[in-house]
Formats: sequence, C-alpha cells, structure tokens
Amino acid sequence: MARTDSLAKLALAYGVHLARRRLRRPRSQLSDLLDTYASDGIRELEPSERERHPRLVTCINCGLCALAAGRVGKARLPDLASSYMRLYARLGDASSDVAGDTPDLVAASAVCPVGLPLDEVAAVVRRLAIR
Amino acid sequence: MAASGSYDVVVIGGGVTGAGVARDLSLRGLSVLLLEKGDWGAGTTGASSWMIHGGPRYLEFDWDTTRLSTQDAGYIVTIARNLVYRVVFLIPVLPHDKNNIERMETAMEVYDRFQPLKKAHPHRRLTSEEALRAEPGLTPDLIGAVTMEEWGVDPHRLVFANVEDAVAHGARALNHTRVTELIRDAGKVIGVRYRGADGALAEARARVVVNATGPWSPEVAAMGGARVELRPAKGIHIVYPHRISNFAISAESVDGRDLLMVAHAGFTLLGTTDDDFYGDLDSVDVVEDEVDYLIQAFERVFPTIRQYRPVRTTTGVRPTLFKWRRYEDELSRRYEVIDHTREGADGFISIAGGKLSMYRLMAEETSDAVCKKLGHQAPCTTATQPLPGNESDPEPPAVLASRCGIPALAAIKLQSRHGTNSEKVLDEGGTPRILCRCEPVTEAELVYAARHEQVRTLADAFRRVGVAAGPCAGAACILRAAEVVGTELGWSASQRFEAAREFVRGAWLGRAPVLGHAGWAQEELAQGSMRGLMRVDGTH
Repeated sequence: MARTDSLAKLALAYGVHLARRRLRRPRSQLSDLLDTYASDGIRELEPSERERHPRLVTCINCGLCALAAGRVGKARLPDLASSYMRLYARLGDASSDVAGDTPDLVAASAVCPVGLPLDEVAAVVRRLAIR
Repeated sequence: MAASGSYDVVVIGGGVTGAGVARDLSLRGLSVLLLEKGDWGAGTTGASSWMIHGGPRYLEFDWDTTRLSTQDAGYIVTIARNLVYRVVFLIPVLPHDKNNIERMETAMEVYDRFQPLKKAHPHRRLTSEEALRAEPGLTPDLIGAVTMEEWGVDPHRLVFANVEDAVAHGARALNHTRVTELIRDAGKVIGVRYRGADGALAEARARVVVNATGPWSPEVAAMGGARVELRPAKGIHIVYPHRISNFAISAESVDGRDLLMVAHAGFTLLGTTDDDFYGDLDSVDVVEDEVDYLIQAFERVFPTIRQYRPVRTTTGVRPTLFKWRRYEDELSRRYEVIDHTREGADGFISIAGGKLSMYRLMAEETSDAVCKKLGHQAPCTTATQPLPGNESDPEPPAVLASRCGIPALAAIKLQSRHGTNSEKVLDEGGTPRILCRCEPVTEAELVYAARHEQVRTLADAFRRVGVAAGPCAGAACILRAAEVVGTELGWSASQRFEAAREFVRGAWLGRAPVLGHAGWAQEELAQGSMRGLMRVDGTH
C-alpha cells in the first residue's frame, strides 16, 4: 500500500513538474549552486587542473622532497602534496600555512620517485587556499 | 570469574545503535553497561558510506521512511556539528539511463520538501555545459544534471562521541569484550557473562538486556532462546585517499543500481554493492569482481577514475530485516524493536534493521521500550542534548593553531574530531608534533586517545583519530604510532613492533583487491618501505 501510494504521489509530482517546465523559461542555476556551497569549500577545479589532477595526488609521503627543498610557507613539501592537496575543500581556513616563501620546487620534483610536479601542486593549493 | 556487577541495563553491541541506546538510557538516569566484542564502530557502522542521508530512494517505496530519516538527520546534524559536513551530489543523466532528466528533477523536487528537516538546501538543475564547468571530470556525453545535498559524518567518531557521553553520564563501556552467554532464569534473561580484553571472564546482572548487534543479532538472540530474522546484505566500498571530485557523483551500475562516489573531506568512497550474504560475519572478504563492478559504473560517468590509486576497500554487512523474494536493493531499511517476552525471554529486547542516518531514533525507541519495561519515566533528550565538543561554537582553527603551535590544517582536523575539546586534547598530550602527516594527526591526540578513548590496538587508533588513513597507509607513521600508543599502554619493544606488523598486515588485506587498477609504482614503493622496515611481505 505504501508503495502504491508513493508511486501515485510521484506520478502526480511528475505531471506538475512537466507542466511547470512548459510554462516557465529555465534560467541558469550554476552560479546559485557555487555561491551556496562556497563557504563549504566546494569550488571547481579549473579544467587544466582537473586534467592533471590524477598526477597531482600521487604522493606517497616518502619525504625526499623535504630533503631537497624544505617548505612552502610553513608547510613541509611532502605535507603540501600528501595532506593539503587531498584536503582542498578545507584549505580556506588554512591559508596561513601556505603563505610565504616558495623554495626551488623544480629541484624538489626532480628527486620525487613518483614524478610529482610539486610546482603545479603548490599553485593549486595556493589558489584554493584563497577564499 | 571476576566479581559480578549489577545494572539496570546491559547493552550488547558497540556500533552506532548500541552506543546510542547506552547514551539515551544514561541520560535518562539508568545505570548501563555497554559491551562491544571488537572496537567501537568497527562493524557495520564503520563500513558505511559515512553519510547521514535522508534516503531519496525511499520516495519510491515509502515517503514516511524518508520523512523520519530526514527529520532524524536534522537532529544528528544539530547535536554533532563538529562531526558533520555538507556533501553535495551531482547526479549526471546520460543517454539511456533508466531515469531521464525530468524524472530525476521531479524526484529532487519532492525530496526538497523534506530537505529543510535536515537543514539542507534545495536541488539545482544544470545543463550539460554547466555540469561540466562545475565538475570537469564528468563525461561530455551527459545530457544534464541535478544536485542533491546530504551530510557527511565520521561514523567512528560519531559512535565514540555517544560512548563518551554515555560514560560521562554514568555508564560503563568496555570494548574488546565479548559476551559469551546470556544468563537466564525461569523464562527471563537476567544478565550476561563476558570475556574482557584481558581474557578474564566476568558476569553482569541486569533488569533488561538489549541486543544491538546489527548483523550479529540473530546469533545473540539465540543465546537467549529467542529469534531475530534478518536478510544480511554485504556491501563494499573502494577508498581513494584523495578528494577526487568537487561534488559527490552518482552513477548507474550495469544492472541499473544507483552507486555513489562520495567526496568526503580528504578521501573518496566509491560504493556500494548490495548482495545477500551467507558467510562468516567475522570474516567478510572483498573480491576483485566487486571492485570491477563499481569501477565499471563510474568509468561511464567519470572517465579518469582508473587513473586514481585506491588505498583500500571496506566491507560490512547490513542488518536488513528479512523479506522473501525482494531484490536486495528493494529491501526496506526500516527497523524493528523486538520484545522477546513471548519467546520465553522476558527482559530481553533486540533492535534490528535500520541505518546509520536513523540511529538516534532507533536508540530512542529501543530506550522507550526498556523504560516501559522498567516502569521508568524519563523523557528522551538525545535530539537536543549536544554530543561532547558541541556545547558551543569552536574558535577559528587559525587561532587555535597559532596558540598551540600546530598547522592550521591540523587544527581543522582536530576540531572536526573533538570540537571545542580540541585544546584540552592538545594540552593532555603535551606535544604539538605531527605524527601522521597525511591526515594530519598530532602525537598529542594519539596520547589522548590511548589515555581516554579506549584505544587498545593500532586499528583502534586508526578509527579514533585517523592515523595511517592517508595515501601512505601508515608507511611513514605506523612505527611511531606504535611507540606512542605502546608507551601509554605499557607495551614492550617487541609488542610495539608486533602491533605495527599486525596493523600493516590487516591494511594489506583491505588493499589487495584494488591493486590491479592503478598506481602499482606507488604501491610498490610504499610496500617496499614496509618490507624493509618490518619484513612484511603481504603474503599473510
């Protein structure tokens, strides 16, 4: 009975929805969506970042880059790749960690056993850390 | 045998429901003993999708379940603010999907009526171009998308927060303690015998015994000569140690089921399967076919999924109420409070079925049944009484970080577990040093967990504070974690080493089914460091 009742109500809602779609001109809801969730850290990656993303999250936290180049701001380099990059929805509250000096990231990437492009990682993290 | 204890209620089962019952009854002024054979939330609760959701799919079967579920989700979101975060789904519609975009939007319009109950926003509808802007990883083949908001939660912390609050209100709670027997006398269950973490046998007398053991409830009911009938269903998830997408994404499986890729704070869960389960509940394996089934579905909507390296799998068994003939996905997630008096087991109550999102309501109704039996009149307060750490608003993480000398990101994570108790946790441990850098977790938090949160193994530490949950899966931190926990618990050097080996071996078992898919090079490196340090070869 509950199932029949549920399906009947859904069918009615479907009819109302179709009628409403015919009567109203649709408008874009993308900016509403992004505005609604900006404070929750849900922000779009740029298409180029999206394309490179699988490469940007391959850190295994071996620590070799820290030996080569130290820190970005207050964040140790392996942490930037292993922790900051994966928690990017929360970076808005952690911008103070990555503000400041940038070491030689190309040198750091050169010693990375999985070939992580640390300069790209740092750029993404810093962009997302700015609210 | 150890000396007997006497309680108003013994609750068996330390998943979210059992912990919720213990909290509820303690808040009502009853004396409670809570027993868990493993660790808090280590069974079905921990293997969930980590979501407090309203259940839009129940709209097809029973709107009342959706209403109850969203309403209770709203209560949980209020009492556990530090543990929850918004998870926004993008539901892409592809050509030949079983539901076209108008049907999907209709379902979301109906769901929007319930969303205010759980403090969530209404849906949005996107064209294919807009959906690709919001989530560039989606397939360009999509026709459009609708969004839907749910809440994410750390189920391990949610369970422990309930345990902690129960203890704060007088309950006794023991993990790694297995009930071996129900004590019966003249048609009544009057207590339990149990084996503690130290191996010693003990017994506890109680006026009521509650069976809240999820899929194990038929087994525990049988100890009391009673019957609980379930149709257990196995579900697996693939865990990626990164946030792969901005939005959570849904996909249709090859057999038309709805699957989810859930973007949590720092990781992604991809699941879940739903298959009748007849095996050993204490040894549920993941097979590669299940992994392939999930990845196949998501490759269709998120083509780069195979380029990501999963870090492990999780598996659990749902305690679904028994129903003959129904397809697994169509089984109700309703629950039932069963008084076993008619079966000759007076004083024995089981709570069966249900789901994480309704745990508080399940606990309330079970506690009502217990109170009725005891003639105890006290109202339930769990819908409004905040869980520990949620009594007031936390300070900004950057302020906590600066005062305590930890990175702001570590402060964010700490607050997500401990809320306003974060500074107390750091003070207790005495050191701001970061132990697990992937998460990140401070050494102080682990010290606190060993002293005050019943951490007895490194797997307990993983559940309590997330140590070794990141991409390195413990390669960089597990030995140090063993040192810290071992120092607190008085482990010898060989016990510390063995604890670390045991953790790595367990982690390997969860990782093996996903290794065929991506990142062999990274896995080899991570495992290589383990082998070198600990002689773990993954063959055990």
